[in-house]
Amino acid sequence: MAFLELDVVNNAERVILGIDLGTTYSLVALWRDGRPTILRPRGREDGRIPSAVAFPSGSSEPLVGWPARDRAAAEPGSTLLSVKRFMGRGLEDARADLASAPFPASATEHGVIQFRAGGKAWTPQQLSALILREVWRVASEALGEPAPRRAVITVPAYFDDTQRQATRDAARIAGLDVARIVNEPTAASLAYGLDQRKEGLVAVYDFGGGTFDVSILSIEAGVFRVLSTSGDTHLGGDDLDRELVALILEEARPAPALAADAGFLQGLRLAAERCKLELTRQPRAELRAVAPEHGFTWRREVTREELERRIRPHVQRTLDCCARALADARLTAEQIHEVVLVGGSTRVPYVAAEVARFFGKKPHQELNPDEVVALGAAVQGHVLGGGTRELLLLDVTPLSLGLETMGGAVSKILLRNAPIPAQATETFTTYADDQTGIDFHVVQGERELARDCRTLGRFKLTGIPPMPAGMARVGVRFALDADGILTVTAREEATGAESSIEVQPMNGLTDDEVELMLKESFAHAREDFDESRAANLVVELGLMLRAVDKNLPAAREHLDRESADELQEAAQRARALKAEDGVPALQAARDELERAALPLATVLMDAVARSALQGKKLSEV
Amino acid sequence: MGSCAACGAPLGSVLVCETCGALRDAGAAPSPFDVLGLPTAFAVDPARLRRRLLELSRRIHPDFFGASEPAVRALAERNSAQLNAAHQLLADEARRADHLVAALGGPRESEERAMPPEFLQEVLEWSEAIEDARAAAPGSPARTALAALAQGLDAEHARLLARLSALLTPLPERGAGALTEARQRLNAVRYLERARREIAELALPRPPAPAPR
Repeated sequence: MAFLELDVVNNAERVILGIDLGTTYSLVALWRDGRPTILRPRGREDGRIPSAVAFPSGSSEPLVGWPARDRAAAEPGSTLLSVKRFMGRGLEDARADLASAPFPASATEHGVIQFRAGGKAWTPQQLSALILREVWRVASEALGEPAPRRAVITVPAYFDDTQRQATRDAARIAGLDVARIVNEPTAASLAYGLDQRKEGLVAVYDFGGGTFDVSILSIEAGVFRVLSTSGDTHLGGDDLDRELVALILEEARPAPALAADAGFLQGLRLAAERCKLELTRQPRAELRAVAPEHGFTWRREVTREELERRIRPHVQRTLDCCARALADARLTAEQIHEVVLVGGSTRVPYVAAEVARFFGKKPHQELNPDEVVALGAAVQGHVLGGGTRELLLLDVTPLSLGLETMGGAVSKILLRNAPIPAQATETFTTYADDQTGIDFHVVQGERELARDCRTLGRFKLTGIPPMPAGMARVGVRFALDADGILTVTAREEATGAESSIEVQPMNGLTDDEVELMLKESFAHAREDFDESRAANLVVELGLMLRAVDKNLPAAREHLDRESADELQEAAQRARALKAEDGVPALQAARDELERAALPLATVLMDAVARSALQGKKLSEV
Repeated sequence: MGSCAACGAPLGSVLVCETCGALRDAGAAPSPFDVLGLPTAFAVDPARLRRRLLELSRRIHPDFFGASEPAVRALAERNSAQLNAAHQLLADEARRADHLVAALGGPRESEERAMPPEFLQEVLEWSEAIEDARAAAPGSPARTALAALAQGLDAEHARLLARLSALLTPLPERGAGALTEARQRLNAVRYLERARREIAELALPRPPAPAPR
């Protein structure tokens, strides 16, 4: 308790990381010295960490991040480059992406994809957890001490519930505590808004490696309010690369067996990406596909115009989403004050020019489009950690949520672009005499028929007492929390009878599965857990010591000598400890410091109470 | 609205005491006017409504209750959901009128389905024009005619809302006959809004098809 009270006095902040878990690259940032800072991999100017996982032949240990990306060049068939495309998806959804994935895939009984790699089965959640562990490692290395385990993690605004859940599960498997799931464009607006101190209507155009989002926001008095959002979770820089891969396949005509080789295709993808990047800086570049192991060499010059012609349909799709978001916000392009570009794909000059044309104004590109989402996540981490009350994000849900009704139609219960948190209840009834159960099918999407929407889950409400048809009143409550994650509950209201719900997640992991994966994720699960616990304790001790250092000098005269000495000794012992000293020693030091700080906390709370009575500010005490 | 149980200050919203910050349980279905602390009336100043949304969000958003007990956090979630729902309702003139008619004991939509009689002929014509346009190809005359139709519908919408405003200002007595007329006008408003949405959908590119199950 003493720690909590000290917390109150100092408004001491709980430190929270900001993580942009991207399709091709991930980044991590932390609020330090009054602003968000990217934590970069050691020895790199670039903050990006490739979202890549490699299973080199002959090794059972996966490589993650830069080592995996480097491996991809040497051994293309060993590396999965964009696991995010498979999050929360089933085999059918992901067929096109699976064709170019280097590992064979199957599905679990709940329809979760599993890759066979390194002699084990890996779900996308587990592979993302590997990436998140690497992100955490990079952060710790950059900080020179174990990074916080609490994190804000960003997702595409247009991610549906299953994809959000999958992201949250990945974080749990990685041993992270998710403080908030934040939408990527919203996070970006926070970084920009903070940087520019702007007010007004803002459009955030976020064209990343694998996903596209557009969000329309109103910024007023420090409140960042999303008015509408639209997007496509299957449209990104990957698609632009694919156009160049298609060009190679059309012109070079490799043998059919080679053209179907996943490793070869991966090599082409890397070549395409390289060429695309060069074309962002210069009007022409060489597209070069070399696969000596297959005796294949092909090269030719590609002009910027040629690339533009090929990617035009994709860019048009992003502009269609912009039109939709504007219509939903009941605004026109002319009414938007500022346009912000986010995501690596906005570096393509044609993309930036088309956005400028659509909105009729020059978009902002001052911040590094790769880093702005992670920076915004760190800002939100600062807010959630209690660091400031100046800023507030109000977001919306991207897609309507509802239930299938008789005849296969959808009864929408929460509409797209509803502000979150949101809760709504709808009442249903039985259609047969003495019916004791109702099957519910929870769906997400804008189409009229349930079969055209995405299934989030099915559950059966049982235990309805026998009564004539149409008499039972079953209230189904949809609650969307601030993460945009849905909880559905149902109860029979007429009798208040206890009812049970069993949810069958679709393309998602059950809690038990997540627990199991967390436990068996590494052979060193125990050490890993200890490491995380030790890291948290070190952070906690640091905060407590800071509070003691700040307050003890002034409060000393109100403390009896014995208490003051005891506290000083406890603080000294705590100060000498490091994460390597292990959990038991850290825990003991923490408990001792907390106990010894109790008299100080009491003195400070009294002071706060006194000053409150005198109408004085805390800072004046 | 009464005063705060914790500090005794007068309340400006049923969701929270803005003096001491204590969250309140406003029950399952608080009046949206009480939620935002605005007088119960048809006329609502949009700027004031927005300001109240922001002020109250700063008080009750779950972001500010990260360190609170689970029960308080759950109340912050629920109160924020109620605030969002109330704001959405009051920000929409037709939904505001619908709420007032029902709250004053007037007929609900399911009880009074009629539209104003002078409206019926036009509804038939409009529906026909939209159906023709839907069947026609993009860019055809039937489609381009929709822009003019949309303008006509918007003008009619504004006229209906002005009439609703007159009917509901000052608020009629409970159960007054004006409420039935208001309901009929609202039915017409609802028709117009649906027609406007359909026209807008026809003008917009199709939403991206959802991934197959």
